[in-house]
Amino acid sequence: MRFQSTYKVPQGKLLKISIEFDEKNNVIRDIRITGDFFAYPEEAIELMEKKLRNTVMEKERLQETISSIITQYHIQFIGLNAEGLTQGILMCKP
Amino acid sequence: MKEQWRLLQTGSGTAFTNMAVDQAVLVVNSQGKVPPTVRFYGWAPPAISIGYFQSLVDEVDIGACERLGVNYVRRITGGGAVFHENELTYSIVVPESHPEVPKNILKSYARICGAVMKGLRQLGVESEYAPINDIISNGQKISGNAQTRKVETVLQHGTVLMDVDVDKMFSLLKVPNEKIKDKLIADVKQRVTSIRNILGKEIRFKEVAEAMKMGFEREFRIELIEGKLSKEEMALAKKFEKECFSIKDWNYRR
Repeated sequence: MRFQSTYKVPQGKLLKISIEFDEKNNVIRDIRITGDFFAYPEEAIELMEKKLRNTVMEKERLQETISSIITQYHIQFIGLNAEGLTQGILMCKP
Repeated sequence: MKEQWRLLQTGSGTAFTNMAVDQAVLVVNSQGKVPPTVRFYGWAPPAISIGYFQSLVDEVDIGACERLGVNYVRRITGGGAVFHENELTYSIVVPESHPEVPKNILKSYARICGAVMKGLRQLGVESEYAPINDIISNGQKISGNAQTRKVETVLQHGTVLMDVDVDKMFSLLKVPNEKIKDKLIADVKQRVTSIRNILGKEIRFKEVAEAMKMGFEREFRIELIEGKLSKEEMALAKKFEKECFSIKDWNYRR
């Protein structure tokens, strides 16, 4: 099923996330990350969305995965960070 | 002798042309074929631009845009949705390696906003930089800015509000909660201002452009020489407009 969240990142921007969530297995099947934040390079967000598919919907796992993608691909966020993104995703959970 | 950059005064264009020209200048400048460039432009018809990461259908009332003849376009820069009507829009394109441009992205926002603030002061409007990407005057927003960096080149574009119609703006943008729409509009009216509001008189685009030219020259210790788009930039802009900015796939992609 599709779930959505809107989350104002502290000292940051408004993050809107939409998730195709597999409740039975507690896994993200698909995710769309939108909002008025900045990310460099911009294309990194599509990569982030791809890499987050099939990730378990659990705080530590999410934050770990997101942080490692940020490091690996030298992503710079402004108005958003790994904690904010994790929080926004978790808020989609029914 | 001061370094010379190019000034482009391209007048008012459609949303699609405007965004295509900014990208074309970015690409051709990255190849070293044109100097660093400052461009001033307007929007005809009026238009909404949304940030790269925003969802068009979440942010924009497409039906209202069609009814009122307002264009809509996705930018290559992040940030929020903007209604462009009575404003001067600037863009600056400069290599990332240029000594006057801070490597740190936030610092470079502050620096480029400094040029806009110097321009505003020239018009008698005092303002300050409000991180991440706004300029405020008397605590109210008068300019919004957005930057991208591609092919080792910085592109920042931003608005300088000459006049603002918050009611019209909200008839075009979607609000998260219709029930509190009136309150939201009242809040935004408190938070947004314009040169007209501050000076209490109408101001012409040309005057704002003159002032902004001076602002950029002083901030970056350069001389702006009025020039034209190169043939290559024009051809590339046409291509970007046709293949990207005027296309549904691009504008609806998120």
